[in-house]
Amino acid sequence: MGWPASYRPLGRRGLGLGGSLVLAGILVLAGMALALPCSASRAEMVEPPALAERVAAGTLPPVNQRLPIVPAVEAGEPGKYGGELHTLIASARDTRVIGFYGYARLMAYTPEHELVPDILQSVDDDGDRVFTLHLRAGQKWSDGAPFTTEDFRYWWQDVALNPNLSPSGPPIELLIDGERPRVEILDETTIRFSWSKPNPTFLGHLAGPAPLQIFRPAHYLKQFNAKYAAPAMLDELVKQARVRNWGQLHNRLDNMTRNDNPDLPTLDPWVLTTRPPSDRFVFERNPYYYRIDRNGMQLPYIDRIIASIADAKIIPAKVGLGGESDLQARYLRFDNYTFLKDGEERNDFSVRLWRTGYGSQLALYPNLNVKDPIWQALMRDVRFRRALSMAIDRHEINQVIYYGLGIEGQNTMLPGSPLASTENQKAWAHYDSKAANRLLDEIGLTKRDGEGIRLMPDGRPLEIIIETAGDSSEQSDVLELIRDTWREIGIKLFTKPEQVEVLHNRIFAGETMMTIDKGLDDGLATPAMTPRVLAPTQQEGWEWPRWGQYFETKGKSGEPPDLPAAVELLALERRWHETISRDERKEIWQRMLAIHADQVFTIGTVAGVPQPVVVNNRLHNVPVEGIYNYDPGAHFGVYKPDHFWLSPPPGDTAKAAAAEPPAGSVSQPVKD
Amino acid sequence: MFGYVIRRLLVMIPTLIAISIIVFGIIQLPPGDYLSTYVAELQSQGEAVDPQKIQFLRELYGFDRPAWEQYLYWVAGLLQGNMGYSFAYNLPVNDVVGDRLVLTFIVSISTIIFTWVLAFPIGIYSATHQYSWTDYGLTLLGFLGLATPSFLLALVLLYGANTLFGISIGGLMDERFIGQPWSLAKVGSVLSHLWIPVIVIGASGTAGMIRRLRANLLDELQKQYVTTARAKGLKPFKVLMKYPLRMSLNPFIADIGTLLPHVISGAAIVSVVLSLPTTGPMLLEALRSQDMYLAGSFLMFMALLTVIGVFLSDLALAALDPRIRLDGGRQR
Repeated sequence: MGWPASYRPLGRRGLGLGGSLVLAGILVLAGMALALPCSASRAEMVEPPALAERVAAGTLPPVNQRLPIVPAVEAGEPGKYGGELHTLIASARDTRVIGFYGYARLMAYTPEHELVPDILQSVDDDGDRVFTLHLRAGQKWSDGAPFTTEDFRYWWQDVALNPNLSPSGPPIELLIDGERPRVEILDETTIRFSWSKPNPTFLGHLAGPAPLQIFRPAHYLKQFNAKYAAPAMLDELVKQARVRNWGQLHNRLDNMTRNDNPDLPTLDPWVLTTRPPSDRFVFERNPYYYRIDRNGMQLPYIDRIIASIADAKIIPAKVGLGGESDLQARYLRFDNYTFLKDGEERNDFSVRLWRTGYGSQLALYPNLNVKDPIWQALMRDVRFRRALSMAIDRHEINQVIYYGLGIEGQNTMLPGSPLASTENQKAWAHYDSKAANRLLDEIGLTKRDGEGIRLMPDGRPLEIIIETAGDSSEQSDVLELIRDTWREIGIKLFTKPEQVEVLHNRIFAGETMMTIDKGLDDGLATPAMTPRVLAPTQQEGWEWPRWGQYFETKGKSGEPPDLPAAVELLALERRWHETISRDERKEIWQRMLAIHADQVFTIGTVAGVPQPVVVNNRLHNVPVEGIYNYDPGAHFGVYKPDHFWLSPPPGDTAKAAAAEPPAGSVSQPVKD
Repeated sequence: MFGYVIRRLLVMIPTLIAISIIVFGIIQLPPGDYLSTYVAELQSQGEAVDPQKIQFLRELYGFDRPAWEQYLYWVAGLLQGNMGYSFAYNLPVNDVVGDRLVLTFIVSISTIIFTWVLAFPIGIYSATHQYSWTDYGLTLLGFLGLATPSFLLALVLLYGANTLFGISIGGLMDERFIGQPWSLAKVGSVLSHLWIPVIVIGASGTAGMIRRLRANLLDELQKQYVTTARAKGLKPFKVLMKYPLRMSLNPFIADIGTLLPHVISGAAIVSVVLSLPTTGPMLLEALRSQDMYLAGSFLMFMALLTVIGVFLSDLALAALDPRIRLDGGRQR
């Protein structure tokens, strides 16, 4: 069928560009640097015992032919093969979570939030404009088909640019001011994405828990694509699947993040083998997985993951009473902690407390776009927001609700992020009702009614209604405590629980005064991540929904921001995306955080509230202290569960023997 | 009789059309759609969603079309036996419901048997020994069964079963049997889990049935034909079985109409608490997440069974009780 037009072998133009630019950020194989002790060549790889039988029978090639020529190497403590890991999920949709745990990504974050190549052998980053991705030669999909740049080409030309499959065009992460990338396939293992302006978030998007997927298993999906498939066959498949057209069929089958198609080849450590619908999903080890440990044993150690569905509400009971999960954090809440701890001995697991990454466990969002003009003027007065913040006794909240385990302060970066600053954390966050009262007097809210509640300029009592999404008792407990201390500065607080869609629509329309929700999604960001959420860029920013809408719709709806601080945030955000200087990016972040701290756009309470993580005592290599975060973090993903391993149950010696790798094939663990 | 059957069958059509409109309307009433609840659910677990992708899905699922168009699309599918597409499961509704029906049948039929086996002897005994201390005792027990919220009973039994017998919490079988072919061990596992839902779901039903049977039977026992039969020297047991008991059964036959849908829907709330793989929790979840074709098609299926069940129970009543005339209403 011939190569498509954008295929250009590395030609004159490419070389010319390369020569004139400094290769600023070369992230060459950071994994290798960590794992140099590994001296195993492809010939010395260890065959996982679970697959030995199939290899002996000749239905599976031996391990050295299944691994890429240069496998990725896990630097952590080596383990042993075998076992099934049980975990609980709440619905069939949660099969995607196993994809988070597998965390096989083109690029990946380390636990320190450093971005390193993972599936990719290396990346050349030329000024954040030209990215040359080098695949691992010889890497294979879980069905044994080669994983090459053809899979990228297929996705770009036949999925992303196909109006049937992607009606809105390529993913927005790949568009810089509307400009599409130039995609060049240089050879079987090299592909280049280039833009004329910097796209600093490109590599980060590849490392997300639900990443930007820029490839697809072409050999499998071509049978569902009208460009390649025989029309009669495709019509039959469409009919069988009861869908309207082939586009719908393709979209249903090609979703790698959703992880619900057992036929879809994958690069993950564990491959879905159960066809939905089911209440129990079995994920078997991927015989072609690309990672090894430092002894040359192919990962993952654990043969099988079994994810069973249980109602989210009884998952804590199943874990705590029955010990029915070997590794569980999802659907366990901090208030389950004592109950879970009680089950530790009976069920032989341990409950660990990991930090969560939210900027604040719960934060108040004064709506700067509230419609009522008098309220709007108050909300936009920084003195008012500061007064509200200082009238919250964060220490009391921490002690009463979180056993004093949280970090009291504003909604900002947490300790552990290179951007954290105590100054920002403490800004306007000390409990001082006198100072708060003074600020309110200064604004001119001096009149009070008989109850001592301050009156607004038009005579209405100062009653703040906080609209919530309901159903979390944690929220109402926190608000109860805030109500008491706000009363001291003459402000009444009411809560109004609503259905979540109603709440969101009311916020977007500017009908709510204030809401309460989680703080910043990522309180552990690094300067290399986009500071977008700190600027009014999305209508889901509850403090400025209409400004965000204005940005998102490019001015078609919403309102342009008119507060100088918000305008400055927007300009800074734009600058962050334009610059290629790492120092400047860090400065921009710090400036934006300082503005937030000073302006108190959101009012934080307590952060770093622990997440209980239940770990079976037979499960090893799970860090005792960790951070449970979605992006970056992929929940357990950054800790690479492919090198977690299970010791056999006590008394089960037959199994123990089987779990030992074949004698003589393991070199001594290398001490660093 | 024949004319009556035809008439009843024809009336079913407008009934079902009306039900379908009401069902679809109610599912569409809450603000938002499946995707907005989906986004909210992801956000509650700290995950982020790409708005562009959501917009794409909204168009793919046809949520941007007017409601009447969506309704017609759905009904047209139903008529061809295509129940539509479940967004949450990403599968055709037929595939989603299929597996769950079997287990729902098992739970429901066991519950019905449990209810009958317990309620009939107790009801008859209570009626024939009215105001004795055993009657009072059983009545007390029955009212306890009626008054205890079933979800509470479920939680207590779950805790007890786990701590005393080591039975895994919730579900209908040990987790390792799910998705496996049926075997003796699997049946054993199902039986060891089955008793909790059967007791919990059956408890209130049993109590209600005892009370109704007792009341009906008491009415009949006072009647003259019973006295006559006794006077003629018939054995008390035979008298009881032959006449009053049969009379007091009419309400139960009339119940078949509601029994049929009950068998496939299961007790939703209890099933959620017990985490049963039955259709009840699936329906509840579908309604909550506005997975409209799954919820709508399943409700329509239940409505169809109700209509058929009522029809069948009417026919059975006519056949069993000669006092009932099919065309009585028209002649008056």
